[in-house]
Amino acid sequence: MKSIRVEQLKYKYPGSDHFVLDELSFTVERGDFIGIAGENGAGKTTLCYALSGLVPHFFKGSYGGNVFIGDLEVYTHSMSEITARVGLVFDNPFSQMTGAKYTVYDEIAFGLENLGVPREEMHRRIQKCMKQLKIEELWNVNPFYLSGGQLQRVAIASVMAMKPDILILDEPTSQLDPQGAEEVFQVVEQLSAQGVTIMMAEQKIEKLAAYSDRILLMNKGKLICEGTPAEIFSRDDLDDYGIEPPVYTSAARSLKFRQHTPANLPVVLGEMPTFGLEKLSLPFPHEEAVDVKTAEIVVSDLSFSYEKDSEIIKGINLKLSGKPLAIIGQNGAGKTTLVKLLKALVKPQKGEITVDGVKTTDTTAAKLAAVIGLIFQNPNDQIFKSKVLDEVMFGPLNIGQSPETAKANALKMLDRVGMASKKDENPYDLSLAERKLVAVASVLAMDTKVVIFDEPTIGQDAMGKVKLSLLINELYAQGKLVVCILHDMDFVAETFEHTVILGGGRVLFNGETRTAFSQDELLREAGLEQPHVTQLARRMGYTGILLKKSELH
Amino acid sequence: MKNGTFYVEKASIVHDVDPLSKLLFVFVSVGVTYILSTHSFVLGVLAITLLVLLLGKVLQYIFPIIGLSLVLIFSIIIVQGFFHPDRSTLWFTIGSVPIYKEGFSYALLLTLRVLNMVCAFGVLILTTKPDDLVQSLIRKGMSPKIGYVLLSVLQILPQMLAVTGKITDAQRSRGMETEGGFITRVKSFIPLLTPVVLNSINDTRDRSIALEIRGFNSTSERTFLHETNHFKYGFVIKVLLAVSLAAVIAWRIFI
Repeated sequence: MKSIRVEQLKYKYPGSDHFVLDELSFTVERGDFIGIAGENGAGKTTLCYALSGLVPHFFKGSYGGNVFIGDLEVYTHSMSEITARVGLVFDNPFSQMTGAKYTVYDEIAFGLENLGVPREEMHRRIQKCMKQLKIEELWNVNPFYLSGGQLQRVAIASVMAMKPDILILDEPTSQLDPQGAEEVFQVVEQLSAQGVTIMMAEQKIEKLAAYSDRILLMNKGKLICEGTPAEIFSRDDLDDYGIEPPVYTSAARSLKFRQHTPANLPVVLGEMPTFGLEKLSLPFPHEEAVDVKTAEIVVSDLSFSYEKDSEIIKGINLKLSGKPLAIIGQNGAGKTTLVKLLKALVKPQKGEITVDGVKTTDTTAAKLAAVIGLIFQNPNDQIFKSKVLDEVMFGPLNIGQSPETAKANALKMLDRVGMASKKDENPYDLSLAERKLVAVASVLAMDTKVVIFDEPTIGQDAMGKVKLSLLINELYAQGKLVVCILHDMDFVAETFEHTVILGGGRVLFNGETRTAFSQDELLREAGLEQPHVTQLARRMGYTGILLKKSELH
Repeated sequence: MKNGTFYVEKASIVHDVDPLSKLLFVFVSVGVTYILSTHSFVLGVLAITLLVLLLGKVLQYIFPIIGLSLVLIFSIIIVQGFFHPDRSTLWFTIGSVPIYKEGFSYALLLTLRVLNMVCAFGVLILTTKPDDLVQSLIRKGMSPKIGYVLLSVLQILPQMLAVTGKITDAQRSRGMETEGGFITRVKSFIPLLTPVVLNSINDTRDRSIALEIRGFNSTSERTFLHETNHFKYGFVIKVLLAVSLAAVIAWRIFI
């Protein structure tokens, strides 16, 4: 019997006028690892909901066709019958906690209690899952205190403990650091080897190619095609669907590996040859015609803790100015806290920060707003007006722009991020990716000298990342200091020449990105990894550090 | 309160008592102040409740909660002092507003009762993990759904405070002044209300999804991770409370 059978599935959200899922049909064998690829809005998340029963039992709307989990028809069975067999993990770790439990251990037990699992068995399963996800030390911690990455592991453990036949994951690693993400993929692969069927929607294409048995390529609610990663990612028309193939595939293509057209290209690192780039020489770095002068942030001997005896920032010295720079480091390294300190949202306990000559202890967050703009990681923490235009005008008005200027700036920035047509809508009706753009516009409209992005690539597809990269360079060209907190190493390598590595509340590295990614030992220690293209070049015999796809030629 | 509950983790004799006994304590403690309405008696009950808080090592945590209820208390005094039907003895005037002694005396009684009520609930929520309380009730046969609603009510204030904190940060980072004098703070409070409510509604939707996928609506017999034998003194306390309640009722009827 097939593990999943989908027949002519059609679905429309209530009040919407288009089908998010449009005539999907496919089957999945037990123990298969299926990757779902597609740009934002392709219908990946809705498909995950449909497979786990949330569509149509939680989200109503128009529903047609059939979804079978084994022999159980989703439409005619209740949520609890479905959840006993299908587990769902989604991207936002914070909203997956039940809020009914006050320790990680109890949180994992929640689902088991509901299903009536005997106590002894519960303890056994919880301990096993905690071990598998490396969260044993957290067992007695309140989930409320955990970082996004830690929470996501708790979420996966909670679902895994329920022993589903099928595990559905919707971009489960988007908030994790590179090593954390890799660990999740490995755990999921183990489960698949144990016979659990896996369906995973993911933007990390290299990982999807490495771990999936088959890929479903979706676009605008339709299933474009399905096949092995090699078949799918060797297609010439991926651009049309907003997908970038794995870096290995693009490299193979540009290095003209393919002899005859129907043949598949390599999609994982291991399939690439171990020679060919020994003689590669990088184009001589052309000197910038003008070195743009930006504002300067000086951090000296900075220490900070929320609670006594657990310092999050431990004596940091940094000078930020000039070219856009990336701050990287694993979940819980203190990146977000550092940004809050720069913004004067919290004040240092030791040391000081001067932003463009002003000490943060001598000013308030509100006064500093005219100098530093911060784009929050989660747009829901930032958006509070009921109309997009009002939301974007809020900051400019506060820092003293006249209503006319504020409106002009707001419209200009909405146009810049491609949201001008939505200016009269309610931000709460927009998709997460769109809300993120509104949040970006609302900060840029304040025209501050410094712009800080906290994890801007989360939830963005390939196209979104390209736009973001352009925007960052454009801001620098206008003389702004841009600081970005990131987990996406490929994006760091493509966009930033300067990188700071944080680890355990300290600065582990501060310098050129190319040097940063040459520090194997340090990267491992900081929970990071080299960009995919760097790994590729190294395998193929290049002894230096390659950072951009365009450097491969 | 940062962790989404009022619960204060301490090792104390009150923490060791089972949630249902504490719940019974709340009912008895509040109930008796209505059965016997003399100032000295209510004051005595309040003193006992405060003593229990002290035993639970959580006395200092009750003051902010009392602070919140001060608005209510003040309005009681003003309204009762002014409007109480039995207005014979003029006590003093605030400007041209006369305050009568009878009204004031009644207001004082009400105030003591409210204070006792707040403190008695304080005994329960400050020394009991919300999930322990709800689980005890579910074991006694309450529906898990109602249990969850109760849990949410216990959490709603702390959670709203957390959301408020995040939104305040977002507004401060975009130039809204919240630091400074009283007026600045009040002014900055109003734009917070809509987003806090909207965000809470959004959270509720996500939360219900989280519950659905964890089998919350399952109809199978539930099991419990924890046994409940780690609580002490339950029987003795329940008997004592029942006896006290009976004694107060008897006092009211016969004396």
